[in-house]
Amino acid sequence: MTVRILVVDDHPVVRHGLRTLLGGNPNWEIVDEAADGIEAVAKAANLKPDVVVLDITMPNMSGLEACRLIRKEAPASEILIVTQHDSPHMMREAMEAGARGYVVKSNASRDLLAAVEAVSQHLPFTALNVQSAESV
Amino acid sequence: MKLRILIADDHEVVRRGLCALLQAHEGWEICAEAKDGREAIEKAGQLKPDIVILDVGMPNLNGLAATRQLTQHDPHCKVIVLTITDSDQVIREALDAGARGFVLKSDAARDLVSAVEALQRNRMFFTPRVNDMVLAGFLDKGHNGSNNEPPRLPKLTAREREVIQLLAEGKSSKEVACVLNLSTKTAETHRSNIMRKLGFHSIRDLVVYAVKNNIIQVQVPTQYQTPGSAA
Repeated sequence: MTVRILVVDDHPVVRHGLRTLLGGNPNWEIVDEAADGIEAVAKAANLKPDVVVLDITMPNMSGLEACRLIRKEAPASEILIVTQHDSPHMMREAMEAGARGYVVKSNASRDLLAAVEAVSQHLPFTALNVQSAESV
Repeated sequence: MKLRILIADDHEVVRRGLCALLQAHEGWEICAEAKDGREAIEKAGQLKPDIVILDVGMPNLNGLAATRQLTQHDPHCKVIVLTITDSDQVIREALDAGARGFVLKSDAARDLVSAVEALQRNRMFFTPRVNDMVLAGFLDKGHNGSNNEPPRLPKLTAREREVIQLLAEGKSSKEVACVLNLSTKTAETHRSNIMRKLGFHSIRDLVVYAVKNNIIQVQVPTQYQTPGSAA
C-alpha cells in the first residue's frame, strides 16, 4: 500500500532535496509540501497523510508547535522530524510534542528512508551524532 | 559541450535539492559535490569546473574563505555564494572574496538557475539588496570621494582565517596542524600571530570574533530565536 507523505520545510531547495531522496521508493507518494508550521497543520488536517516530514526551525509557526497541533488535527498521521538540531534536548522536546521519529539533516541521506519506513509502521526512529543521544 | 558545475554544501539533502534543480537544465551537469570548502577547493583543482556554487556556512573551511582561495588561485574562477543571510557584512566579504553571484538559500529554487545562466554569459548575479549596496557604495564614492565602510578589520592572511575557523570549531593547535598539513609549531605561530593582531587573550574571544564575523555559524535552538531569525 502506498505511504502518503507531506513534506514541510521553509527552504524550497531542501523540499526539493527531500523529494529527490524520498522519490527513490516507488511505494511512497509525496501528496503535498508546506513552507511553515501553519500551512503544515492545515494541509495535514485536510490530506491526512500517513507521514509528515517536518522541519523544526521555520517562520510563522515552529515545527514543534505544528507537531502538537497535527497530533490533534490528524491523530493517525505519524510525524518525522528532520532538523539541523543535533541535540538530545531538542529530540526529547520533539518526541514529547508527539513526533514518532527524529533525523538530523546532515544525516538525511543515511537515515531518512529507514526513518520513514519505521514511522510509517508506527515504530519509533531516532538518530543523533552527539554522544549523549538517548533512545526514546 | 556541457557546462560543468561543482556544488558544495555540508547538508546532503541540500546538495540533492541543488542537483535536482540544476540537472533539470539542459546542457548543465554536476561534475562534483563537496561537503566543505576544503573538499571544494581540492575537487575544483582537479576537475576545473566552469562554475562553483559554495554554501557560506560549512565546517573546516567556510564558503567565503574557499571563494577567496579559489579566486586568488584563478581570478577567472566563477563562484556563486549561497547564504542564509544577506547581511551587509556577508555581502561585503563575498564581493571582496571575488564571488560573481550571490543567492539567498531561501530563494535558491527561484534564483539559482538565473544566477548560473548569468555567470555562463560572463555576467554577475546578485540579489536586489546586494545590487542596492553596490550602487550605494559607488554613488557614495562618486559624491564624497570616500565611502562609509566601517573601520577595516586587522589584515589577516587566508591561512590565518583558516586557522581561526578551525580553532573556533574547537580544534587544538595539533589538530589544526594535522588538517592544514603543517607542523604543530607553525600552527602555534599562526595562533599567536592571530591573537596578537586581534588583541585577544583567550580562545573565548576568538570564538566570539568567529561567530560575529560569520567565520563559523552557530545553531540557535528554536526557543532562543528572535522572530525572523529562522534558518
